[in-house]
Amino acid sequence: MNACAEGQGWKRSGNMQILRQTNMEALEKARTLGPDGVLELLEKKGLEGRGGAAFSTARKWRASRDAPADERFVVCNADEGEPGTFKDKFIIRHNAETVVEGLLIAAYVVGAKRCFIYLCGEYDYLRPRLQQQADDMLARTKMEDVTIEIVRGAGAYVCGEATALLQSIQGFRGTPMQKPPHPTSCGLWGKPTVINNVETLTCAAQAVLFDDWNPALRLFSLSGNIKNPGVYEFPLGVKMSTVIDVAQPKKKLKAMSFGCFGGIMPVDENMAITPEAICVEKCHHGAYSIIFMDETVNVVDISYSIAKFYTYESCGKCTPCREGTIRILNLLKKILNGKGVKKDLQVLAELALHIQETALCGLGQTCGNHVLTSLQHFPADYDHYLKKGAKS
Amino acid sequence: MNILHEAQEKHGYLSEHILKQIAIDQDIPIARLYGVVKFYTMFHTEPQGKYVIEFCGSPSCVLADGTALEKFLEGELGVKIGGTTKDGMFSLYKTSCIGCCDEAPAMLVNGEPHTKLTVERLTALLKKLKEAHADKKVKKK
Repeated sequence: MNACAEGQGWKRSGNMQILRQTNMEALEKARTLGPDGVLELLEKKGLEGRGGAAFSTARKWRASRDAPADERFVVCNADEGEPGTFKDKFIIRHNAETVVEGLLIAAYVVGAKRCFIYLCGEYDYLRPRLQQQADDMLARTKMEDVTIEIVRGAGAYVCGEATALLQSIQGFRGTPMQKPPHPTSCGLWGKPTVINNVETLTCAAQAVLFDDWNPALRLFSLSGNIKNPGVYEFPLGVKMSTVIDVAQPKKKLKAMSFGCFGGIMPVDENMAITPEAICVEKCHHGAYSIIFMDETVNVVDISYSIAKFYTYESCGKCTPCREGTIRILNLLKKILNGKGVKKDLQVLAELALHIQETALCGLGQTCGNHVLTSLQHFPADYDHYLKKGAKS
Repeated sequence: MNILHEAQEKHGYLSEHILKQIAIDQDIPIARLYGVVKFYTMFHTEPQGKYVIEFCGSPSCVLADGTALEKFLEGELGVKIGGTTKDGMFSLYKTSCIGCCDEAPAMLVNGEPHTKLTVERLTALLKKLKEAHADKKVKKK
């Protein structure tokens, strides 16, 4: 089994690929290879973005490098805020040097002088050490004309979205912008900007240096009703039963949710975890964070907590998301209070679909997934509350 | 963003006076600055308690009985989510996720994470914070 458990208590495991340190050797190798050589290597090794969209990193870097401009920027997206996801925090805690090295390699390849790390406000306690490590790394590289600034987030989940993040760095409200233009050609202050996730940058440094770097390994954040929550490394295609073996459910499992936006679905032990397999289930794998729920849980309760999350985090820019998330929350509240009727379920589904089709950014487009999937897979849980209301 | 964080750390919150000063220094309209401050939940335009508690409301924390603990905390402090205690000691907020799902339920106190919370641990922590506050008062006198 190619899985290394991190488990409780932040114990490090030397077997985890993500924790392999590159000790400035990756940057040295990148300089020897030259920008084109690095791009070819990353393309050959098949490095894809780990923030959820799985876009080719080499293509992103190349697009930014080739866009005509006199200045370019590189941003590390450390605005992790998706409920159930904590892998970026794990990397920053245990292998921040490699993140910074990945950032410097990206800066070298695209020709950027200013680098940013956008660190979410909830992880501010990690900032002093991260800043120190970044400063130390810069001093060691002798890249005197390159700077790394840590921009502190302030509790807006939507800033994890690339265009919103750029708005935030520039000192505006973190609202997503219409794409195109894409940040690779028109990002910070209208200049080409590369935005990569913490895990992607770490992998970039490792992929450059290590010949045996495995592109199939992904970090999984496991939490919920299990005995062994934590960050684990599994190869894509791993059987769900293997993941469950490691997670050790407290009781019989009933459902699982890939983060908040992934939707709630039944646990299929035979499922191989690949983007294709999960998307067939109309769920999104996102950053491979799985929240397990056991048989004691009513899925509607969890759906309600997810609805609260979306209502709270909607940036308010586009109407379907701003208003729709509140309506979903109110309907779920009504059902939970035993005042729901059968027709409310139909309205919920219509509302969720409508927001999905009309919202501007990823947050809005996925904010109804938990409703649609829970209605589809767990109608009995909704019936439980409807019947409870009918009796009283 | 960093300027706002630093001003808040220095003064406790972002008062109208401070925001006006930042707007002048940065040469931006105060309305734009106010719009930015109100967008981010971690910026406050009202005085805050000495200890700002941000209780995590993620599904992982809910599954670990976080909702009951949140109610307990509200009861202990005598304030609802979003409020500040009368003595100015604690401000209580709820946040979406603080990335401690593997150690749920969890919360931040002045930005520092406290995890695997139980009624006992919460009670002990509140007692410790109150005592630290009282000690400082005595020393000042």
